[in-house]
This record gives sequence, C-alpha cells and structure tokens, in this order.
Amino acid sequence: MTASTIDNRDHLISYLHAAMALEHATIPPYLTAYYSIHPNTNSDAAHIIRVVAVEEMLHLTLAANVLNAIGGTPDLTRPGFVPSYPAYLPDGDDKFTVDLEPFSLHAVGKFCLIEQPRQAPSASSRLVPAPDSGGSFLASSPTIDGMRYYSIGEFYAAIIEGLEKVAAVDPRLFCGNPARQVGPEYFYSGGGAVIPVTDLDSARRALSFIADQGEGLDSGLYDEDGELAHYYRFRQLELGRYYQVGDLADSPSGPQLRVTWDDVYPVKVNARLADYPPGSELAEAARNFNADYGTFLALLTKAFNGQPSLLQDAIWYMFRLRDAFTRLVRNPLPGSDGLHAAPTFEIPTAFESDPDVARTGGETAEAVPR
Amino acid sequence: MTAQSFDRFLLLSVDLTAFEKTELLGTGLAHQYLAKVRAACGDEVFTALLAAHRLARADAVRDAGSCDRTLLDRALRHRIFSDDRLGPVARNVIKLWYSGTWYGLPPEWTDSYGAHTAAETSTVTAASYQEGLLWRAIGANPPGAKAPGYGSWAQPPRIDARYLKRATK
Repeated sequence: MTASTIDNRDHLISYLHAAMALEHATIPPYLTAYYSIHPNTNSDAAHIIRVVAVEEMLHLTLAANVLNAIGGTPDLTRPGFVPSYPAYLPDGDDKFTVDLEPFSLHAVGKFCLIEQPRQAPSASSRLVPAPDSGGSFLASSPTIDGMRYYSIGEFYAAIIEGLEKVAAVDPRLFCGNPARQVGPEYFYSGGGAVIPVTDLDSARRALSFIADQGEGLDSGLYDEDGELAHYYRFRQLELGRYYQVGDLADSPSGPQLRVTWDDVYPVKVNARLADYPPGSELAEAARNFNADYGTFLALLTKAFNGQPSLLQDAIWYMFRLRDAFTRLVRNPLPGSDGLHAAPTFEIPTAFESDPDVARTGGETAEAVPR
Repeated sequence: MTAQSFDRFLLLSVDLTAFEKTELLGTGLAHQYLAKVRAACGDEVFTALLAAHRLARADAVRDAGSCDRTLLDRALRHRIFSDDRLGPVARNVIKLWYSGTWYGLPPEWTDSYGAHTAAETSTVTAASYQEGLLWRAIGANPPGAKAPGYGSWAQPPRIDARYLKRATK
C-alpha cells in the first residue's frame, strides 16, 4: 500500500478533479446550516460559517487553477460532482457523514471534523481501505479502487508529492494556457488571495494554502497572515469564546460568543425531492433550486475554462440562489412533523448546460410589455 | 391562533397578493402578519374577513370542483372589496404583504367599527421591509438590504413569466 498512486499527468488530473469535488462538497452543508439561522439572529455564528464557506469557494478555485495549469479541463457539471448527501469523509481510520442539516451543536461538531487536522501515523498508512459504503466517499483515491485517504490533509499531501514527482520527469507538466487561470482580479473574498498557477512552485503554494487554511495537517491556530484556521473558528462556537493570539488549542480567552441554538429553522436533515409532496408548489420550488444550482455550476465551468471574467456573473447568481434558499427553508415541509424544507442538491443530469440559454434567459430578458 | 385560521389567512393572502403560498411562507413573516392584522382590526372583523373569503371561493367553484378565476375575481369584489367593513382591511392586507408596513385604517373605518390599539401605521418587524413582495414583483432588491451583488444591475429585472401580460398561464 505504500506504492505511489500518482505516476503521471492523467493520475494528477483525476486527483485534481476529485479535489474540486471535495472542496465543493463542503459548501452545501455549510450553506444549509448558514441559511437555517433565523434572519437577524446568531450573527457571530452566521459570520463564522459564512467566512468558511466563502473560503471553500476560494479552495475550489485554487484546485481549478492547478488542474488548468497541468492541462486539465475543470467540469463541475459531470454526474457525481455534487455528492449525494449524506456523503462520507475520512476521519483517520474511521469515517463520518457530511450532512445537509440545520445549524446546531451537532452540525458544528461535524464542521470541526471536516476541518480537523489529522496526520497519518506513518507514510504507509496514508491510504486506507474504504469498503463500499454505498454513498459518495470524498477523498478516496481516484486511481486505486477501494482505497481512500486517512485525512483530507493526507489527500493534499499526496497530490503535492505527485506533482513534484511527475514534474521531475516531465518538464512540460505545466503546459496549461495561463489565460485559463483565475487571478485575484476575478476573485475577491477577503479570506486570502487566489493564486494563479503556472509552475510547480505556485501549484505547491496553492495546494498548501488549501490545506493550511483549515483542512490540512496541523500548522497551528493562526497562519502566517494571522488568519485563524477553520477548525478553530468552529471550535469557538463549541467553546462559546473567541480565540486570541497566544491561546492554547482548547482554551480560547477572547470575548464571549453568544449562540442561540433555538433561533434556527428546523430543516429536514438530508432532505430529498422524494420527501416533498408530489406535484406541490414546494416541490416545484425545490426542483427549480436544483436546476438553478446546476446552471450555476455550468457557469462556473465556463469561467474555469478560459472565461474567468464570468466569475463576476457568478456573484449575482449566488445572491439569487441565496434568496431561493432562504425562501425554501422558511417553508414547513408537509408531512415531516414540523420540519422545514431545504434544497436537496440533487442536480438534474439532463438539464441545459449552457448558462446563456438556461433558466436565466427566457424569464429575464423579456421586457414588461405596455 | 389555530392552525386552521393560519391556513385560511394564507389562502386569503394568496388570492389577495397573487403570490403563491410557498412564496408567502418564504418571507418567514406569515405568522407575524396574521397577528398584526388581527390586532389591528379585532377578532370579529378578522373572522368575518376569512369567512367572506371562503364564501367567495365557494362562489367561484365550477362543476368539476375547479376554481374559475373570473368568477373568483367577481366574488372577491362583491363579498370583500365593496364591503365597507371588510374592504379597507383587505386592501391593507395587500399593502402589508407588499410593503411590510401595516397602514392605519381610515378614520371612517375606525369611527364605525372601533379603533384598535394597533390600528396606527407601523412596521411589523425589521425584516418585513426586506421581505416586502413589491421587490419580488418588480424584480429588484429592497434598497439597502438583500444586496444583489456586484454587476447585477447590468441584468434585466427578473420578473416571473406568469406576471407578464403576455403570459399564457
């Protein structure tokens, strides 16, 4: 099991596709918790979740940059890119489920697990068997069936080593067109700058950034820019107090942080379209959300394939998704004992994949007739 | 407040606003709005309004049990909007959903049917301005809230096809 699983460019490309899917897969759970919070309440908690979710979007973009740099073709529309929830993530020798669930102590515990740094006890235990659990297993090896990584950090460490190894024998590894790179002029989030990738050094920096910002191997509470790692951001919610520089991992000493766990819409955990009353308005709204989300992923795919300026359209598109998201979670889901609706993220496979002509078109372009 | 009167208030609001139930619930304010209307006009008038709406709905039922929109329109005007007691309240319910503000009932109304403590103009909650249906109706965001994102202003307003005059639905 110590044999490398990354021997060539094709392997790297499949790993980076998996990395993009992994980075994206954390976003729907974060958004579900975030939007389940009642408006104008829990501002501390909402802010923490929002910041992390936005940084996952940065990670997704960085993974796309590395994939483009080695001549790959990012595709967020292929079947399986959005996992079916619950999805599985590694927790060392164990695993845990990632769910679409409302904001709660339980959800925050899961978020800590997602972001928890874990280093394999030895290089030989980096890859562990992943018995088929019937769901999407994130951070599994795309080149060796039935094997997955010990942790997300180990997954990225393997990719970085793979890049080094392949670059050493293939001087033309970084053959991607630099025009396909998303630079800081197209992506601003406040939580770290996007790094254009053109060579091994920038690829290493991009992937290390993803790992260090939260999910990776432990690099301390704060990074070199003074940013608190994601894991510790969530720990603040569990511990009820902010960290400040100089604190030890389990004893934050900053200001108190107030959470009102009841100010939350009790959305159904991992809701499926099948949970919605067939033919209902609400089912239609849930289906429309999924279709819109699919169109949005198609827009990102275009942006990552040579049209980075389209990321500006992605901004307002995300705000529209936000509005549809909040409308859904405020609706009780009939027949679910008072639980509320939530997007199911079951992306239709046969939808129109060209964002120019999809749902945004017909409904918007029409001027109001006089 | 019973679950039944909540449902009836929602059905009334659907007919008054032309927004779907999912969208009304999507504001997160339906319960607060019901409480506001009830406090403003009193239990008796509120109950009479819901009853008149049910009768209007019954008037509009065709043989097959389907609702005839033209008949419903006529029945609502006849039973609610032209009624001195219910009409002003119903108009204010529309304004409430669209603007998030409860407008005080006219003096002629309070002279005849009693001034309730909540009859003055007031905003229901801080969220009600943001959730006003008027913003959805014109495909815009409430100024100062629900930021639509950089560059969104270059996009045409997003008005649901069914609200356009040429709409077939």
